[in-house]
Amino acid sequence: MSVAFAVVTDAPLDADAVEAAVLSAADGALVTFRGVIRNHDQGEAVTRLDYSAHPDAQAFLAAACRAVADRTGLTVAAAHRVGELGIGDVALVAAVAAPHRAEAFAACSDLVDEIKATVPIWKRQHSPDGTTAWVNL
Amino acid sequence: MADEVAVTVRYFAAAAEAAGRDEEVLEIEPTAAALRRVLAERYGAPMTRVLEVGSLLVDGVVTRDPDRPIRSKVDVLPPFAGG
Repeated sequence: MSVAFAVVTDAPLDADAVEAAVLSAADGALVTFRGVIRNHDQGEAVTRLDYSAHPDAQAFLAAACRAVADRTGLTVAAAHRVGELGIGDVALVAAVAAPHRAEAFAACSDLVDEIKATVPIWKRQHSPDGTTAWVNL
Repeated sequence: MADEVAVTVRYFAAAAEAAGRDEEVLEIEPTAAALRRVLAERYGAPMTRVLEVGSLLVDGVVTRDPDRPIRSKVDVLPPFAGG
């Protein structure tokens, strides 16, 4: 088990690099989640999301990955993007490799839940009429 | 009641918007409950909402414990919305 890497960046995410970091010759399953900016939220149209992060967010992301790696015994990695993201942009890449698919699917879902619950990252949602709202507030 | 001390308070995202600043030093009793009381008085409903649903970062630990002692530094964190 290990954390291949955990990164918070304002640059576009490289999903291939996240996947390559977790995959070994012993793995028969590679599950990757991409969190993508969508054009609606709770019935309202969305034009853009502005992500911001606490200065220690990367350490919290690493801790989230470590928690899932410890629970599952698998190798995990995640990258989270911050800054102004448009529809279709990828905000989160989380990847898990495992010998078999069932444990890889379960661990990847667990990893995304852990990241959303424990990493201090925030987003402000922009509507077509120019108003903004903080998500989850 | 404990003595008041100088606490550096940092605000993030919706908390920074509610406070109109990113950081300040407050002379307060060093507990989470006292900080919440002072911030609610100073910044009103928007900050009260953040404090109700958010958390504090004290000594590297995210906490919602009102009795948590704080020392010289604390961060006010709105609810997380990563992913």
